[in-house]
Amino acid sequence: MALDVGTLATQMLGAALPILEKDAEDAKSFAQTEFTKIAQTIVSIGEQLAAGQINQAQAVLLLDMQKSASRSVLLALQGLALLAVEAAINAALGVVKTAVNTAIGFALIA
Amino acid sequence: MRVIHAARQSLLPSVRKRTFTISIFLAVMIVASALTGCAVRLIGDYDDTIDKGVTNVQQSAEEYFSKLESTPSTPYDQSVYDDLDARLVVLSSRASALPKYSIIVKQIAELKNEIDDFQKIDKAATRPLTSHAFVNDGESAIAVTVESILKLELALKRGATPPSSSTSK
Repeated sequence: MALDVGTLATQMLGAALPILEKDAEDAKSFAQTEFTKIAQTIVSIGEQLAAGQINQAQAVLLLDMQKSASRSVLLALQGLALLAVEAAINAALGVVKTAVNTAIGFALIA
Repeated sequence: MRVIHAARQSLLPSVRKRTFTISIFLAVMIVASALTGCAVRLIGDYDDTIDKGVTNVQQSAEEYFSKLESTPSTPYDQSVYDDLDARLVVLSSRASALPKYSIIVKQIAELKNEIDDFQKIDKAATRPLTSHAFVNDGESAIAVTVESILKLELALKRGATPPSSSTSK
């Protein structure tokens, strides 16, 4: 049985896209929560400095901590994106596995 | 009929290009899967030691923060930072040894950076503390980073049943 590119591609996209969409929503929700916390803290640092509760040196260090936190969130998003792509690829290969292996005559896709 | 033929002619190049792109993508994925002989893996696996280790670091930090907030005369305690630093070094070493763990290695480095910054603030602050606002700010940054590490770490389970239940604060 000959492989049909269009059919295989449609099947793969059909398996991959829902995963990418769902994982994107999850990542967005997480990022929103964490960046809101960071933003609130940055505002708080400014208010405390203005009120004299902290000095400039402390403010600089506290802001550096918020930058680290921001980078950590972005790194988490990077990792979650890799996981989403991985799941999407494996799902796409999974749906065409039988068709491809049957057409080729051996288990090309494990 | 001519309109239909003209529309089809104008669509054909874009359809051909899309089909070509998808078939290249398909070919690459099939070859990649065949070469690896197993499912594609782009990032490392869940590690219970990292999960628990990071959680424990946060717990220790929180215990100290609570003391600073409740008792303004709490003296600066170098041993707290020595302990946190040692634990983070060990976690970083473990993460560095695990395959495809570079992202979490970087996150642990950010956590260490935050604790180092907080240590400088704490060491310079006079006692009794007139305000523990800086404690809240520092605590918040550390919490966000821990949550980011754990968010990714737990996602690495990929829906599998963990060998032991992981804890979070």
